[in-house]
Amino acid sequence: MKKICVKLLGNDRTQFIAIPIFSILLSLIVGMIIIAGLGKYPLTAYMNLLQGSGLMPKPAYSAYQGMLTDFMSFLNMLTPMMFAALSVAVAQKAGLFNIGVSGQMLAAGFVATVTVGYSEMTAVIAKPLVILIGIVVGMLVGALVGFLKYRFNINEVVSTIMINYIVQYLTSFFINTRYIDEISRQSRAVSRASRLTLMQVTVGELKVDIPLCIILAVIIAVLMKFLLDRTSLGFEIKAVGSNRNAARYAGISVGKTMVVSMMISGALAGLAGVTYYMGYLESIQPKVLTDTGFDAIAVALLGNNNPIGVIFSSFLITGVTKGSSYMSAASGIETEIASVITGLILLFSACSAFIRYEVKKWKTELEEAERRNADVKNNH
Amino acid sequence: MSRIIIDGLSFALPLFIMAIGGIYSERSGVTNLAIEGLQGFGAFVGALFVVLTSGTQGTDSQVIFYFAFLFAMIGGMVYSLLHALLCVKFKANQVISGVVINILAMALTAFLTKQVNKSVFNQPSDKFQLGVSSRFTVPVLSDIPVVGAVFTNVYPFEVIIIVVAVIAWFVLYRSRYGLHLRACGDNPHAVDAAGRNVGKIRTVAIMVSGALSGIGGMCFAYSISAQFSESIYVGYGYLAIAAMIFGNWKILPTLGACLLFGFARSAGYQIVQVLEKPSSYSDLVMTLPYILTLLLLIFFSKYNRAPKALGEIYDKGKR
Repeated sequence: MKKICVKLLGNDRTQFIAIPIFSILLSLIVGMIIIAGLGKYPLTAYMNLLQGSGLMPKPAYSAYQGMLTDFMSFLNMLTPMMFAALSVAVAQKAGLFNIGVSGQMLAAGFVATVTVGYSEMTAVIAKPLVILIGIVVGMLVGALVGFLKYRFNINEVVSTIMINYIVQYLTSFFINTRYIDEISRQSRAVSRASRLTLMQVTVGELKVDIPLCIILAVIIAVLMKFLLDRTSLGFEIKAVGSNRNAARYAGISVGKTMVVSMMISGALAGLAGVTYYMGYLESIQPKVLTDTGFDAIAVALLGNNNPIGVIFSSFLITGVTKGSSYMSAASGIETEIASVITGLILLFSACSAFIRYEVKKWKTELEEAERRNADVKNNH
Repeated sequence: MSRIIIDGLSFALPLFIMAIGGIYSERSGVTNLAIEGLQGFGAFVGALFVVLTSGTQGTDSQVIFYFAFLFAMIGGMVYSLLHALLCVKFKANQVISGVVINILAMALTAFLTKQVNKSVFNQPSDKFQLGVSSRFTVPVLSDIPVVGAVFTNVYPFEVIIIVVAVIAWFVLYRSRYGLHLRACGDNPHAVDAAGRNVGKIRTVAIMVSGALSGIGGMCFAYSISAQFSESIYVGYGYLAIAAMIFGNWKILPTLGACLLFGFARSAGYQIVQVLEKPSSYSDLVMTLPYILTLLLLIFFSKYNRAPKALGEIYDKGKR
């Protein structure tokens, strides 16, 4: 048993991928036990999750629906999550904890909604403008947080939580007094031209939603990877994140770096906001912060704060979330079980340091045992 | 004026008790983002006890009321063991552990609430109805002008909180355990060298945090929401964390921060009512506590200092 574990997980070069996969498998097994405990078939449930996310064909589809429909709407849900997780990851690299992604998302989504979303602009102008406004608004909020930290030593956890509440109530006030849709009790829907997701486009025989920004999200993830690993700004960000005093000693302007990384983080949160409120959704529910910004913290950490890792971790977590409603409909398992599985995945991933430590211990044990055996043989 | 004090206190004190829990955990060196989940899980266990013993209609029984708080404490404490297990034993990243605890608490309590309602009461519902706790007024003291409001229409849980808070203060600052706990947050190696078990001290601190968060959650379930449902997860825990950091990880300043949140909030509602504005204006004044906090932080943050070893995994061999 130990031998197998060491062989699979002990290799230093493959460990960075082997251990996450091992913890995910472990959590899926525990999830299976839970589902079996509820008296349902675990494998069917997992198949349902994949089917719901459009990664496996369902047994039957209604008119204009197909696997592609499900997959595209999965991508539609994935886009804001990927941006939000990247936002958390970049801040985390600089040693800052951006717990206010949800508030930054709402601020960006709201400003873009009332400026472009309710205007008569044509799609060609409106869509880039929405993205631009999202970036700028998010960046400004991020800059404020960074400035407060740098100039007044205000802990970013407190300031972002405060800004979360301020944005939440302020937008709620304006929506309720000016932009309310009396029937849905949400803000009025934004114009089709400004929406970042093309809804119900006919592709062949199917009608699908096309999230335009998913490609942008992947490109930006790669750009972030490049920024962090290959530029001097990225080096400074990481240096500040790992040891502030050493960075200062090395001549890096710590305050400036923190403000800049908070601005990047805010801009990414802004992108998450516009793709969420003007892509995935088309209106804003007053006084509600989305869970996306909080889940993104876990997704970013699951991806080890690595922009490329974030692509995979957000894919996994969103897949489970997206598939849950179909699993509930097909197997009669409550949708909350999907969140439990998500929690389990994160839980076991959180233990990866421990797994690495144990595997290393076993490895040395085995090596010593081998050496002892060899010694015994030589003596004879 | 008296309404501001009454409502302000009934919001500030539950927040305060959760923040004290946070102080225990963080002063021992363990980042605690899990307060949100701990308070929800504690409230769930307390509410579960209430509906199982007295049905879904709500009850006036005082005995059940106090037992609900006891169970909320136990619930929060047991659930917090998960955080302790991850942070202390499995050396997990404490931030991710906190977030996981929150996600799991939300999912588990929502799921279990539905299941219990379905299997025990045969009704599809996602909440436990509790009703609002009864209040009492202290006779003579409440007649004092202005200050008397503190003794008017008091929820019984406010008394519980004050008693627990005094004990918590005493333990943290005047007992041997409190000294070890605070040392764990600043220099765990020194504690280890003195022959104390860092892991054990931290585990107990996290359990205290869970128990106190459970009380806080139960208070909100018994006052603002009058039920247990997903509405308990609206960020009370995060607000408590903010109050704790604002209070510089010390109990008395944290009380000040909580009172600020509470009074600014109730004053805001009162202003809207006095000015006879439509209710949507309450959203506007609700930003006041948070803007005020940011402004105050500009002046007070200079001396803000987190426990030195906060968030660091204790590694015996590290120098």
